[in-house]
Amino acid sequence: MKLKETILDPIFKSNPITVLVLGICSSLAVTVTLKGALVMALSVMIVCGISSLILSIMRNTIPGRVRIIVQLVVVAMMVILVDQILKSFEATYPIDKQLSVYISLIITNCIVMGRIEAFALGNKPIPSMLDGLANGAGYGMILLIVAFFRELLGSGTLFGLQVMPAGYVTNNLVILPPFALILLGCIVWVQRSIQKDLQEK
Amino acid sequence: MNTNSNLYTVIYTTVIVVVVAAVLAFVSQSLKSKQDANEKAETISQMLTAGGFGTKAEFQAMGNAKVLETYGNEIESAFTVDAKGAKVADLDLAAKEVFSPKQLKAQNYKVKAGEGYALPVFIFKNGITVVPVYGAGLWGPVWGYIAFEADGKTIHGAYFDHESETAGLGAKIKDDPAFQAEFVGEKAFFGQSPVFSIVKGGAPKEDGKSVVDNQIDAITGATMTSNGLDAAINAWLGAYAGYFGTATVPCTECSDNEKTVEE
Repeated sequence: MKLKETILDPIFKSNPITVLVLGICSSLAVTVTLKGALVMALSVMIVCGISSLILSIMRNTIPGRVRIIVQLVVVAMMVILVDQILKSFEATYPIDKQLSVYISLIITNCIVMGRIEAFALGNKPIPSMLDGLANGAGYGMILLIVAFFRELLGSGTLFGLQVMPAGYVTNNLVILPPFALILLGCIVWVQRSIQKDLQEK
Repeated sequence: MNTNSNLYTVIYTTVIVVVVAAVLAFVSQSLKSKQDANEKAETISQMLTAGGFGTKAEFQAMGNAKVLETYGNEIESAFTVDAKGAKVADLDLAAKEVFSPKQLKAQNYKVKAGEGYALPVFIFKNGITVVPVYGAGLWGPVWGYIAFEADGKTIHGAYFDHESETAGLGAKIKDDPAFQAEFVGEKAFFGQSPVFSIVKGGAPKEDGKSVVDNQIDAITGATMTSNGLDAAINAWLGAYAGYFGTATVPCTECSDNEKTVEE
């Protein structure tokens, strides 16, 4: 596969959320505010990219029978590192607090393990890292789209700044996870009507 | 080399786990002081918010150093008290010692048991006393700080925080300034049961002010969080009754001349 496709495919054509339908759980949970979604997206990008890089370097030494466990250990290490670092800076501490367990739960995000299993274990380190980063970016993009609508309609703000007129009554349904699922459905619908080859006959 | 032999697999996994553990231990140790500083500044900014020294957003914008400086300028004394209200120990003012949520959790077990606790009291120069409360919400712990006027029963302000309450519903105890504003001007009935109540369906009101001095409205759609917070406030303020004086019977009609019954 060409490098360009490795990077561009996960953004749209084989987007991890809308096409592969992975990472749905966290995309319902962390998309209440744009700030949270942005930090989550960057965290997943970093975890996915660097875990793919490390495991791709190690790929020829990993015993086949325990490869999932080895992947898990490396991914868990990256997730804990990201969480610890977010907690250490004044600027990111409040966001880490708001995301609470969801940063730690990146480890259960199927995108990370899925890409390692499907790509990093069979490809050279640099393409693997790019594949990880691109999948993280594809995930992050959907997160930001969903968070944009949820924060705008649910809280009347964008990145914490008031944008809706003062009289706007915030919509509680939008804040709850079911609405994120409805929005995701709409995004999948839009993508499928653009990309005809995804449609079943 | 045969990467599928048993010996190789065992050695490989052992090495990986030891290396990862070493990396994590090193990172955790080297970042701990920064994380503790962040948590402490957060706790202090919550107490200052409850005490009405500024809004949470203002404290967040001013940064950790400024928050600690404000606290240092405003605090008069800080100490821990036992069930009878007697002072147990002083908190280190110079080091700006406060109780982290973890320490509150440890005390919460003793508060529930009804004995053996040493709860912190923070007295500010303008006469405001701030005390923490801690308990269980719907999904995780809820805690907060309640600031009392110099009379030791009128609430000056409150700030609450939570670990994982539902965004938009239970999370309103933290995010909704209107909920926290409800506490202002209410009174805690120390020595009575309940000390304070968060009333589902709304506290009876007259001219926009609650008829009974220790009642406020619960949050719509967040009954469990409201109940949890109510229980936390009652348990902790009950535990502080010894300090604030149990025998104060509030009187709604004679606000200037409240009946005080000595034990």
